[in-house]
Amino acid sequence: MKDSCSAVSKLLEKYFDHEVTEEEQSLIGVHLLECHACQDVLKSMERIRDSVKAPVEEAVQKEDFQWVWQKIERGIRLEERPTFWETLRSWLQIPPLFQRKVWIPAVAAAAIILVITIPLLFKKTPSYPSPSVVEYVESQTHNVMVYESENTKVTVIWLFEEPEKETPSS
Amino acid sequence: MNDIETELISRCQQGDSDALKEIFDQYNKKVYGIAYGVVRQREEALDIVQEVFIKLYRSIRNFKGKSKFYTYLYRMAMNTAIDHARKMGRSPFSSLDEMEGFQPSDGVEKRPDSILLQKELEERVKVALEKLPADQRMALIFREVEGLSYQEMAEAMGCSIGTVMSRLHYGRKRIQELLKNDAQEERRR
Repeated sequence: MKDSCSAVSKLLEKYFDHEVTEEEQSLIGVHLLECHACQDVLKSMERIRDSVKAPVEEAVQKEDFQWVWQKIERGIRLEERPTFWETLRSWLQIPPLFQRKVWIPAVAAAAIILVITIPLLFKKTPSYPSPSVVEYVESQTHNVMVYESENTKVTVIWLFEEPEKETPSS
Repeated sequence: MNDIETELISRCQQGDSDALKEIFDQYNKKVYGIAYGVVRQREEALDIVQEVFIKLYRSIRNFKGKSKFYTYLYRMAMNTAIDHARKMGRSPFSSLDEMEGFQPSDGVEKRPDSILLQKELEERVKVALEKLPADQRMALIFREVEGLSYQEMAEAMGCSIGTVMSRLHYGRKRIQELLKNDAQEERRR
């Protein structure tokens, strides 16, 4: 191998892969004209490339991919269809009414209503006469009225005399 | 990425299977080429194609357009094919680190025997490829079969351009070594 080969050989692979600059390309081009060793290296890489590429290209050409697409389509449909366990899980899921996004606002609204209404419920209202029991007893001499208040447990008894009967004037 | 492809991807991201069909028509041969390059078995390669496009449909929402779409797809194809081959237990998946100690020798001495016929050579290269670490094999397939540039390969393989060049270099040298050993053994017989 010539001395210049060591410099070129570092670039030879990049040259083969079309990854050199224009300057490098012309430098290697000139070197290759007179260097059979480097030409052989290139030919060797070419043979490997052809040997890797040819069987793959041949296999690709033979293939009809339409039926492969049909299999892919079936595969996608199967994926989109829920499995038995997914279906079962969805059946067992909490109904939408109880889902978090529903019950959190509902509970918040209920809490606000309670906060507003509870003070109203406990607010002191003006007292009205409570139900009471009144009994009235009449006798020939006296009349008695008994008043019993249920709340205050107070009993009031009125006793008043029967006014004398006016005698009819003759 | 052109406008038509961007629109196709966008439709596919919204679950449009017709858009996936168009992407499939455009890339099925490329994906098959990668799969076949790795497994070298028709049925298996077709299974991989199927798996790749179903995976694509499932995960295309994650594609943000930061890289080229085809490098994204090729990467998916490469990983699926490698996983498939690993499951089949067929491939020696050593890493590049395991090649430590392997010194690339002079290309002139290691070149394949010129008397080998092309078909025979293909068969030998196929066997030699199977002996390569997965990353080197993928580098060769991306470069020699798909014709990707170093930059595109780096994107598809998720590594630097330097790593791409190193994988290509060691892959080619290793194949030359294996072919040479093969030829020497044959001569001895």
